[in-house]
Amino acid sequence: MRVFNRYLIILALASLAVNSMLAFAGQQDLTVYFTANAIAYLMITLLHVYMNPAARRSLSRVSAVLFASFAIVVGIKVVEVLSGV
Amino acid sequence: MSRPTRRATGKGGWNPYRALGLGLVLGGTVFAPIAYFLIASVPFAAIGISAIMLGFTCMALANARPYISPEASEVILRTGMENTAALLEELGLQNKAVYLPSTLRDGHPQALIPLSGTADLTRIRARIPGRLIVRWGDDPEDMAIAVTTPGSAQLEKMESRPGSTAAEIESAITYVLVGVLDLANAVTVSVTPGRVDIGVVGARLQYEDAWYYRCLGSPVASIAATIACEALGKPVRIIEESPEEKRSRIVLEVLG
Repeated sequence: MRVFNRYLIILALASLAVNSMLAFAGQQDLTVYFTANAIAYLMITLLHVYMNPAARRSLSRVSAVLFASFAIVVGIKVVEVLSGV
Repeated sequence: MSRPTRRATGKGGWNPYRALGLGLVLGGTVFAPIAYFLIASVPFAAIGISAIMLGFTCMALANARPYISPEASEVILRTGMENTAALLEELGLQNKAVYLPSTLRDGHPQALIPLSGTADLTRIRARIPGRLIVRWGDDPEDMAIAVTTPGSAQLEKMESRPGSTAAEIESAITYVLVGVLDLANAVTVSVTPGRVDIGVVGARLQYEDAWYYRCLGSPVASIAATIACEALGKPVRIIEESPEEKRSRIVLEVLG
């Protein structure tokens, strides 16, 4: 299961890097953290296409939920910008 | 009947990925609101959200673990290899096997071990019948033993036949060796006319100086050869296998 372990370690390191960079940049909006983490997650998961079919199916479900949440956050931000809130 | 071990029970039993996932999800769910509302720290709340994401990923991977333990898989593989080796040893066959694509067999790829050492298998044109002892040419000595290899069994599970470019063969071998079977860390492939060079980084099943390996190559080389022959649509033979601790090299000769 080295491929699973490597994938999880890369995900954890990416989350750590993203959160650290945004924290050092003084970011105080939680949706920005979530969006950056979601993008990093989806990119890393896409790069691990060679996992076994069962793992890919399970990860696709997690990715779909994450992408839907990401789309909702982006949608709310677009509505905020358009309505001038 | 004895009870199955917890490790081999798959979805129902204890699983380290499920335990880690559950811990991360619960920890993140508790920590994120505390960090956001009580500590008023957005970066800490973000760490909680990241933990939840990582936790769900671990739980998803827990369901993808094999039902059979690695020890049981190794026993089954070794049994099959020893039975094939006993057959080859009894017949005194030490010739290098030729891996045939499914188009030249009865729909699934197999390896052919010629009975005669001087056999020129580039003459194979017609589809070979699905039997153990087969005639592959017109001459009386054009006889061979046809065996199923680990690669043959794995290839049947692939959704589509790999393409014939080096990148497509590399992608297919990486998918099987790294992603599905977890037998290596990385694979590189270069294709030149009549030859395929395969580099396998971190191969777990190394070459041994045994009868089976001398005929059919190591399981890793055998799987790579099966995928390459299926991708190219031509028979291939393992002509060189140099196992190194970090990077093994497999050279295939493309016949026909």
